[in-house]
Amino acid sequence: MNLSGEYRLPLPRRTVWAGLNDPDILRQCIPGCEDLAKVSDTELTAKVGLKIGPMTAKFTGKVTLSDLDPPNGYKIAGEGQGGVAGFGKGSAVVTLEEDGSGGTILRYTADSQVGGKMAQLGSRLIDATAKKLADEFFGKFAETVAAPASADAAPAPAQSAEAPVPAASGDAGGLPQSVWIAALVVAVGAVLWMVLGN
Amino acid sequence: MPKVSMTVNGKSVSAEVESRTLLVQMLRDKLGMTGTHVGCDTSQCGACVVHVDGKSVKSCTMLAVQAEGAKVTTIEGLATGNELHPMQAAFKEHHGLQCGFCTPGMVMSAVELAKHNSNPSEHDVREWLEGNICRCTGYHNIVKSVQAGAKAMAAAK
Amino acid sequence: MAVDGIGAAVRRKEDFRFLTGRGNYTDDIDRPNQTHAYILRSQSAHARLGKIDASKALKAPGVVAVFTGADLAADNVGGLPCGWGIKNKDGSAMHEPPHPVLAVGKVRHVGDPIAVVIAETLAQAKDAAELLKVELSDLPAISQVRDAIKPGAPVVHDGGPNGNISFDWHIGDADAVAAAFKKAHKVAKIDLVNNRLVANAMEPRAAIGEFDRATGDYTLYTTSQNPHVIRLLMGAFVLHIPEAKLRVFAPDVGGGFGSKIYHYAEEALVTWASAKVGRPVKWTAERSESFLSDAHGRDHVSHAELALDKDGKFLALKVSTLSNMGAYLSTFAPAIPTYLYATLLAGVYTTPAIYAEVKAIFTNTVPVDAYRGAGRPEAAFLLERLVDIAAAEMGMDRVEIRKRNFIPTNAFPYQTPVALQYDSGDYFATLDGALKLSEYSGFEARRAEAKKRGKLRGIGISTYVEACGIAPSNIAGALGARAGLFECANVRVHPTGSVTLFTGCHSHGQGHETTYAQLIAERLGIGLDQIEVSHGDTNKIPFGMGTYGSRSLAVGGTAVVKALDKIVAKAKKIAAHLMEAAEADIEFKDGKFTVAGTDKSKAFGEIALTAYVPHNFPLETLEPGLDETAFYDPKNFTFPGGAHICEVEIDPDTGVTKVVNFTAVDDVGRVINPMIVEGQVHGGVAQGIGQALLENCNYDDSGQLRSGSYMDYTMPRADDLPSFKVATAITLCTHNPLGVKGVGEVGAIGSPPAVINAVVDALKDYGVRHIDMPATPQKIWAICNSGRRAAAE
Repeated sequence: MNLSGEYRLPLPRRTVWAGLNDPDILRQCIPGCEDLAKVSDTELTAKVGLKIGPMTAKFTGKVTLSDLDPPNGYKIAGEGQGGVAGFGKGSAVVTLEEDGSGGTILRYTADSQVGGKMAQLGSRLIDATAKKLADEFFGKFAETVAAPASADAAPAPAQSAEAPVPAASGDAGGLPQSVWIAALVVAVGAVLWMVLGN
Repeated sequence: MPKVSMTVNGKSVSAEVESRTLLVQMLRDKLGMTGTHVGCDTSQCGACVVHVDGKSVKSCTMLAVQAEGAKVTTIEGLATGNELHPMQAAFKEHHGLQCGFCTPGMVMSAVELAKHNSNPSEHDVREWLEGNICRCTGYHNIVKSVQAGAKAMAAAK
Repeated sequence: MAVDGIGAAVRRKEDFRFLTGRGNYTDDIDRPNQTHAYILRSQSAHARLGKIDASKALKAPGVVAVFTGADLAADNVGGLPCGWGIKNKDGSAMHEPPHPVLAVGKVRHVGDPIAVVIAETLAQAKDAAELLKVELSDLPAISQVRDAIKPGAPVVHDGGPNGNISFDWHIGDADAVAAAFKKAHKVAKIDLVNNRLVANAMEPRAAIGEFDRATGDYTLYTTSQNPHVIRLLMGAFVLHIPEAKLRVFAPDVGGGFGSKIYHYAEEALVTWASAKVGRPVKWTAERSESFLSDAHGRDHVSHAELALDKDGKFLALKVSTLSNMGAYLSTFAPAIPTYLYATLLAGVYTTPAIYAEVKAIFTNTVPVDAYRGAGRPEAAFLLERLVDIAAAEMGMDRVEIRKRNFIPTNAFPYQTPVALQYDSGDYFATLDGALKLSEYSGFEARRAEAKKRGKLRGIGISTYVEACGIAPSNIAGALGARAGLFECANVRVHPTGSVTLFTGCHSHGQGHETTYAQLIAERLGIGLDQIEVSHGDTNKIPFGMGTYGSRSLAVGGTAVVKALDKIVAKAKKIAAHLMEAAEADIEFKDGKFTVAGTDKSKAFGEIALTAYVPHNFPLETLEPGLDETAFYDPKNFTFPGGAHICEVEIDPDTGVTKVVNFTAVDDVGRVINPMIVEGQVHGGVAQGIGQALLENCNYDDSGQLRSGSYMDYTMPRADDLPSFKVATAITLCTHNPLGVKGVGEVGAIGSPPAVINAVVDALKDYGVRHIDMPATPQKIWAICNSGRRAAAE
C-alpha cells in the first residue's frame, strides 16, 4: 500500500518543533498511546491500543530513523506487533516546510505493509483508518501545542528545537529528541503501521 | 464466573460461563444444543440465528450474559415431537436444504419473516435472507420454501 | 417402477434430522475428557523460522501441551503426501517438495501452521498461543504466478530444480497445431485470468483425534468427503499407523465442494497429539482460519489462440497456462490443471488439432486444489470466451459458430485430440433446449426495452462438456494417479427384509441417503423406510474412495447396482430352493420371486428371513446370509454436457450487474431424483455466478490475504441471484448400467462463461472485448465512464 499526504499546521515551525519535544504532549495526541520510550538516539518503542474495523488490539513496536537531512527531511522505518491481530511495517519519507504565512507544512510519502488478521479482516479499512488517525492526531496536536505555547515557554523550546538539530547530526553523535519525536508524529499521521509501530 | 439463567425452548436453564462467552457458545458447549451452528467469525453467515424474546438474533453476536432472563428459541424448539413446524416442513417439501449446515439459521430467520409477512414476494424473501449465507442451494429452493412456509404458518393460525 | 424408485422426486430421508437441529457434524461431537487445540499460524507469507520458545505458554492456565515441527520430526511423523504425480515435458518427475505437518525451517504462506497449543478449553489454548515466542525473519514473498517465474523471484522452496516451477507439462500435437495456424483465415486470441476462489463450505473444517490406550486404536473424526482416502494417506504416509488400528469417521459434513477431499495437517496433528497427551484432542477452524488453511481453487493465467477457416470452422487451438499451486502440492493439485483441464479443451467442438502447455507454479499462498468443477470450469471458461471472440472476429452469430463446430450427434463415441473419448451427447439438443427455455429469440426486444430504462442488457451463451465419474483406475494410473478410483458398495439384507447399504461415497449435501435408497427400492421392490444408507465410517464400510468429481452415482451408484445384482442372484437361489424350482425359472419383479409359468411366489422379505434361518439349506451349494459387496471400477469417464444462457442487466451509473435470467439445460444422463438433480444445478450455477461477478480471493504482492472473511470475500447471497430456469435433455451414458453421468459440477462449469459473455455483450457499445472475473461494479463502472467520456469528447 502506498500513501501520501500533507498537513498544514497553523503554527510556526519553531512552535511545532517545541511541541514535538514534549513526550507528554505526544502521548496525549497519539490516538490510543499508552506508553512511549526512547531506547537510543535513533530508536524508540511504544504501546498503542487501536481499533481497526472489527478488531481491537494493543500494538508494541519500534521506530528507527535514517537518512537524516535536518531540517528538510528524513526517512523513518517502523514495525509493530499486535499479537494475533497481526503486524505492520514500512517506511516513509517526510519533509517539513514553512508555508510563508506562519504555518508549517508536513508532507509524507509512505510505503507500508500490514500482515496477519489486520490484512485479512481489515485491509479495506486501513487507508481510511490511517487518514482518520492522522487527522485526529494533527487536530489534537495543533490544539494542545497552541495552548501552552502562548502561555509561557515558547522561546525556550524554540531554542532547543532549532539550534541543536544541525549540531546533533554533526558532532554530538546522537539525535536530538526533536527529530525522532517529529518522526514519530509523522509516523502517526502518515500511515497506520506507524501508528502501530509507535 | 458469572452464572447466566435463561429459558431455552421453554425450559429454564442456567450455566456458569466466562464473561466473554457468546450466546452460541453457551448453547452449544454448555447446554449441548448443537443444532445452532457457527459458520463464520464476523457475524455474516447467519448459521447461528436463534430467537431471543421472539426476535431473530445472530447468537454469535451476543454475549451469553446479555441473554440473562431472556426467552430463547433454537431450531431444536421448533418442531412438536416428530411433527415438523410448517416452515421446516416447507423446507423439506421444496428441497430448501442440502448439506443442512446453514439450515437451522435459515429456518429461524424465515420464521421471523413469516411472522411479519404471511405472503412474502420473492424479492421480500431474498432481501430478508441477505444475512444468511447458503453455499449449496443457490437459494432458489430456499425462496420457494420460505414462501410456502409463510403461507402454511398463516394457514395454521 | 417402484413408487419411490428411479425418476421419482422423492423428498429426502436425511432432511428430518437437519431441519430439527439433530444433524451430527464433527464440531457437534465432544469426547469424554477432551482437550482443545489451537494452531498458531504464520502471519508472514515467507520467513525463516527460528527458535520457538514455549516456556511461558506451557505455564499458562489450562495448557496441556505445546508441539512444534521439531516434536513431530522427533517422532518420525511424515509430511503430507501428494496423490498425483505429473511428468515434465522431458519426462522427468515434477518437483515435489516436502509438506511438513507443522512448519520446519521456513514458513511459506500466511496460515502455514507453526505450533499447536493443547489446553483444557479453547479459550485457554488461544490465550496461551499469544505467549509463544516465535523467531521469524521475513523473506521477500510472491503471490502471483507471473511474478513467480520472473528471473530473480523469491524462491518458495529452496533448491527447486527450476525455481518456482513444480512442473512444465504439455499435451497435444504442437506440429499439427502450427501447421493449422499457417492455413488459418483468422485467429482469435485471448489473455485471461481464472480468478482464485475459496470453496467456503458453510461448515468450517474440524477434527477430533482419540487414542484408546487399551487397544492402541486411533479414531479420527473429521470433516471429509472421503474418509478412506484420509485413513490411507494419514495412516500409511504421515503417522505410520496400520489401517486396522485407525478408524476415520466423517459424520454429517456441511458441504465440501472439493475442499474436504484433501488430507490436511490438522487431521494428522490431532490424531498424533491424542496419543501424546493421552486424551482426545479437538480442533475446529474459525472461518478466518478456513480462509488461510482450506485449499483454494482455480487461479490460472492463460493465453489462448484459436485458428479458424473462412467458414468459421475451428482448425486448431493452442493454449498456454500458468497454474498457481500455492506454497505446497495439495493432495490432488497436480491433476487439476492437467488431466482435468487441458484434456477438456476440445470442449463440444470438432477442433482437430490442440496443443496445451501448463506450468504449475509455487507461490507464497495457500495451496490450491480442486474446487467444484476442478479444471473443467477453467477449460470451459477459456474456450467459451474464445469462441465468442472468434464469432466477433468472423462477424458470425454466436449460436451459429457453435453449432457449426459442434461434434455431430451421430459421431459418438468421439475421440478428441486431447486423450478423452466422449461416449455420448447431443449438444444441439441442449443448446436448442436452452435457446427455447430462455426465450432467446425475444432478447433484442428486451434489450431495447431495457435501453429505454437506461440499462444495458446483454445475453451470453456457453456450451460445455465435462468429464466426471472419476475415474477408470487404469487410465488414471497411467496418468500419474497414485490411488485407485473405484467405488464399493455393500448391500446388507437383514433377516426381516430391511436393508442397509454401506457405501464408500460420502454425502455432504448431495442426498445420497435418498438417491441410493431409490436405487435399492427400485431393484428390490421394498419401501424407502426399509432402507438405510450408511457412509463415512471406515470401521463400517468397505474400502471406498469417496465423493468428488461428480462420481457418487456414476461410480458409487454402479457399485450399488452391482451389489444388488449379486443380492438378487443369491436370493433367486434361495427362492429356487424354497419353491423347489430350477434357479433359471425364478423371476424377480416388484419385490416378488415367482416360478415362471406358475402362481408360486415368495416375497422378498420371506427370502431374507430364510437366508438367516436356513433350517434345511443344501449347505454344500447354498450359504446362509444375504449380504453382498461389489467394487466397481468404471471403463471411462462420463461426459455430462449442456448449454447455459445468462441474461444480465447493467446499470451504467453504478456498474452493478444484475443477473435477470439464467437458463441451464444439461445432459446429466439418467435422472434418479429430479428434485435433487435440479438442486445440484442451482447450487453449481450460484457458485459459477459468484465466480463471475462477486468472488475473488485476493492476495497483495507481499502474500497477505486481503479477502479473508465474509466482509471482503463476496459470497453470493439471496439478493444477488435470480431464480433459475433449469431443465435436462439427456443422452444415456453408454458404459454404466444406469446410464447416469453426474450432476454435481455442471452448474459451476457452464455458468461462468455464460455470465461473462453476457456482460461483454451488454457492454459491446463500449468496445469491450473481454472482462476478467469477477466483473465487479468497480470494473464495469470504469468501463462505462471512460466510454461516456470518450463519447462526450
